[in-house]
Amino acid sequence: MSFLSNGGRWIAALSCAHAVLPAVQAKPIAFANGTTVMSEYGAGTMIEAQAFYAPTYWLSTGAGYLRLDSDSERRTRDIEYVRVNYLVKRWNLDAAQANVFVWGSLGRATGSDFDGSRLARNAGFQFDYETRRIYGSLKSDLWESTAFSHRIDTLQLGLAPYEHDYQDLATWFVLQARDYTGGIHRGTEWALLLRLFKGGAWIEAGLTGDGKPQLMAMFNF
Amino acid sequence: MKIHRAMIAAVLLAMSFAANAATLEMDVNGLVCAFCAQGIEKKLRTFSATDDVVVSLEQRLVAVAVKPGQDIGDDELRKALTDAGYTVKAIRRVDESIDEVRARLKAARP
Repeated sequence: MSFLSNGGRWIAALSCAHAVLPAVQAKPIAFANGTTVMSEYGAGTMIEAQAFYAPTYWLSTGAGYLRLDSDSERRTRDIEYVRVNYLVKRWNLDAAQANVFVWGSLGRATGSDFDGSRLARNAGFQFDYETRRIYGSLKSDLWESTAFSHRIDTLQLGLAPYEHDYQDLATWFVLQARDYTGGIHRGTEWALLLRLFKGGAWIEAGLTGDGKPQLMAMFNF
Repeated sequence: MKIHRAMIAAVLLAMSFAANAATLEMDVNGLVCAFCAQGIEKKLRTFSATDDVVVSLEQRLVAVAVKPGQDIGDDELRKALTDAGYTVKAIRRVDESIDEVRARLKAARP
């Protein structure tokens, strides 16, 4: 069963341990007049690359490529898309920040189990909360076409061994849980990640419970 | 007459202070991530009056050094930070250089 459907119990259990709400993944919008490029290798199940430009701190637009490889049913998806990201709400607190992002995409999809290409539609959201010590984020990303429907749900909880300041190297340990629907991956994919960022560079690396690599890199200009 | 002269002198002194203010400091909410806060520095450095910028997540503070004889208005500063996605709680002019502010912030770190 998807962790999202058990989300309440899951979050409650973790809240007892960490008293924390979901916090940050890489945000889809970094800052105004900023360009962001990012790429992710997700344990052989997904590969994604994106490039966005944000004319304001609450809007960005760009393009991306997503590859999904089923580890159980030998299905593949290749999706090229254009996307708009929107910051619905931000809370700037004394020592914390929380955000709600939504996005939508249109793309062209090809797949191993259907001929030709199909129009693919995408919608997603991300909620995040962070301090300099803890963070969490909940992200859901739905892709649909006449040939498939896949949703990728990702929950991240992070803990910083020290509170970074502006010029410091920031270090985080991140626990990630990810579910895929539509026959891409059975069960919840768990990963333990190390996140480092300094200046405009951000990298994440780790392993899933199956020992597969999970990598992400992002750069802001 | 003496009161008038005193008042004029006080106003001129205040104006002189403002014109020569070395550093502008802002208390900012939401300042928790250096990766995202780059946008603040990027925005503030677009002002022609900006000489240097210091951002402190520890103190939740942004400091701007202005060039001699120049100033950046409070409304402009507040708009710059708002346009960067942050919330300004307070703005003040301090008579410290940006290096002195930097040293103070460093000394205050645990």
